[in-house]
Amino acid sequence: MEYVLHVLVMVCIYGILAISFNLLVGFAGLFAMAQAAFYAFGAYATAILTLKLGLPFPLDLLIGVALTGFIGALVAIPAIRISGTYLVVVTLALQVIVIAVATNWKSLTGGTDGLRGVPSLHVFGYALNNPGRFLPAAILALGVCFWIAWRLTNSPFGRALRAMRENESAAEAIGKDLLYMKVAVFAFSAGLAAVAGSLFARYLNYVGAESFGIDETIYMLAMVILGGTGNLWGSLLGAALLVVLPELLKFVTLPTEIADKSHLIIYGVLLIAILRLRPQGLLGERSTMRHLPHVDGASSHGVSMPKPLPKGEVTLEGRDLHRRFGGIVAVAGFDIVLKSGSITGLIGPNGAGKTTAFNLLTGFLSLDAGSISFRGHDITGLKPHDIVRAGVARSFQDLRLFTKMTALENVMVALPDQTGDRVLDVFFRPMKIHREEHENLIRARNVLDFVGLTHKAYETAENLSYAEEKLLVVARLLATGAEVFLFDEPLSGLDRSTLAEIFPIVRKLADNGKTICIIEHNLDVIKELCDVVYFLDEGHAMAIGTPSQLMNDSTLASRYFK
Amino acid sequence: MDLFAQLFVNGLINGSHYALLGAGFGLIFATTRIVHFAYGPIFTAAAYAAWFAANVLGLPIAAAMLFAALVAAALGTATYQYLYLPFELRQSSSHVALIASLGLFIVLENLIAIVFGTGGRVVDGYQYDIFLVGPVYFSSVQLGQVIAMIVLTASLGVYLARTRHGKAILATTDNPEMARIIGIDTVKVSRLVFAIGSALSAIPATLILLKDGATPSMGFFAVFIAFVAVIVGGVGSLRGAIAGGLALGMVESLGLWKIPTEWQSSIAFIVLFLVVLLRPQGLFGRAVN
Repeated sequence: MEYVLHVLVMVCIYGILAISFNLLVGFAGLFAMAQAAFYAFGAYATAILTLKLGLPFPLDLLIGVALTGFIGALVAIPAIRISGTYLVVVTLALQVIVIAVATNWKSLTGGTDGLRGVPSLHVFGYALNNPGRFLPAAILALGVCFWIAWRLTNSPFGRALRAMRENESAAEAIGKDLLYMKVAVFAFSAGLAAVAGSLFARYLNYVGAESFGIDETIYMLAMVILGGTGNLWGSLLGAALLVVLPELLKFVTLPTEIADKSHLIIYGVLLIAILRLRPQGLLGERSTMRHLPHVDGASSHGVSMPKPLPKGEVTLEGRDLHRRFGGIVAVAGFDIVLKSGSITGLIGPNGAGKTTAFNLLTGFLSLDAGSISFRGHDITGLKPHDIVRAGVARSFQDLRLFTKMTALENVMVALPDQTGDRVLDVFFRPMKIHREEHENLIRARNVLDFVGLTHKAYETAENLSYAEEKLLVVARLLATGAEVFLFDEPLSGLDRSTLAEIFPIVRKLADNGKTICIIEHNLDVIKELCDVVYFLDEGHAMAIGTPSQLMNDSTLASRYFK
Repeated sequence: MDLFAQLFVNGLINGSHYALLGAGFGLIFATTRIVHFAYGPIFTAAAYAAWFAANVLGLPIAAAMLFAALVAAALGTATYQYLYLPFELRQSSSHVALIASLGLFIVLENLIAIVFGTGGRVVDGYQYDIFLVGPVYFSSVQLGQVIAMIVLTASLGVYLARTRHGKAILATTDNPEMARIIGIDTVKVSRLVFAIGSALSAIPATLILLKDGATPSMGFFAVFIAFVAVIVGGVGSLRGAIAGGLALGMVESLGLWKIPTEWQSSIAFIVLFLVVLLRPQGLFGRAVN
């Protein structure tokens, strides 16, 4: 019986670890393989604070969690610069370094002997010093950690995390601050792992470096993958299965050394098998929008298009923009002035610098020289998400939709000023967020209405047709609430009838006083849609004029068709 | 000064070992973009294969080395064919292959531990010679590590530059899509680099067996060091991997002057950490915008 209770305590500890790791790997898509190091920080914090400083519960836990959360936040900073494979390797290195420090810093950690005699938890003078007594505390801790992770992932912040996982640059382009999000999710993930570490120290009354090696991180990864990335219940299931399954092996009589090794072999084989047979895990990711009500006839709720802005005012202005890539000059001395209520076309041969110009105007590339202002305010050198918030948003030629999210979520995540984007507000202002979510749902439905995608609201983006995807790109851009929209080939590859659907949408935006700039190759589209056209070549504007002026210019035509 | 000379030679020797590991790993990584962690346990398996050939079958060392290379090549190719290729065909994200590789890593490492036991294995009756040149000591095995690095990386360089298969590998490394368009069978190329890269790792594995003996966990450090050499040197460059490996060996060895021994094995990880953060394209690589 004692043994069964012990296994259940271990399920709780690993449940917390798997949940914490899932936040990073599953929801945020950050493959940082140092989770066992965070686990170690929590365990050593409790051991050192109780043994060396005699701190009582819960001080050791709180300090440990805060400290580990802070370290997690520091790890997030490299995660901004590097991604994918490099993040995996750097964090593996970090994991090894942490364990080397734990092994070699004998005066603090006890070296290879570890720290013995960590005091058990006491509740009303009652020592939780056996599995049966400890289990309720472990279940309580698991419950609290699960609730924290649940709140986090089912909030607007969680939605933004998944958007970032799907496509980082697109998340930036709708105004999400990636640094903030990465720091926050790392801090939470590390802090939760530290809770598990503290429990471990209190339960076994011992902390040693060998419990937190790379094998442990892989073990947690196996739990997350087995249960399903992006599903918290899956992590619990994965933890339970991977703790219990190897225990069953104990009934087969094997020498202990071989038994230990065969556990690890089982994890490895299971990991590979699940990737092969069911890559989404036992429980796949579910849409977080399930619990939101379907709102029908949303436009009758009185939230409609914002009132029209005055036309003809200068909004976005770029002056003497320059950018080189190594020896190649992409943009050189480009000037552009966009006005509210007008549609500006950007044409020119391939390699003329059109997309680079967009990247410069929206902060995705830094300028070598030149300046950019929006409504008279200098926005040169701002980060992309700040530029979006200031009022200038762009779309991408290759769409970059959040493919695993529904059309509605794609739009909702892009709505500006969401209280729930801030992680502390998720926990401290739940009512405000709840109200906002309801309003945002209606706003998102209205945007979908506006582009004619209401019937696809609950369809995942990857299941949409090409034309619908293009419409969703427009919808997502509108949702940012920006004043200036830079569309990078929004119409390419569409047939006549779809074009006829999109034209009025773009026209209507301009009529409402929005500023529109479109990169386009199709001259018919330019003729039909644009008020002003910039002809770009060799990195700057060769000519500016109305569509008919430019099209009658034979030198430009020969440049374009060369 | 004598100490410096000795540390310098040690750095050169270990650096050669790292460079060779890096060359094999780097060939696989640059061409297939797979983070092949299982390179580690395959390196271990090669060491045990050499031990088996020398000790149980009684083959001479050179033959044992060849046997180890064949075993490693077979394991490497099989790993690609049966583990990575199916994910590649399914167009899974690159993380999937990486996780699968970690899975295979723990499976192989623990299988080896069960079959051969966790204690170290040495080749019975093998004795290496010690040379004393001026103030500097080194052994015949260490000399072998340097020679093996020079001979094998030079041959690899010639193979890549001069032969049809080698050029196909370089083309795939440069741009896989373009390589496919001009009719290169990139799956075949991948299989080939897994075979060559794994076989290459068997030589340093055998030399480590002769020098220190084989243990089931030796693969982790090997794959990590290989990775560090490649990253420090810049991905996709054979010369970079060699320079990265040598630089790492030197830093580690000369670091002993100031740093206590128990930290020596951490130096590589700290170097990696710093290089990736400060200069992700590698010390010798070109900056990519």
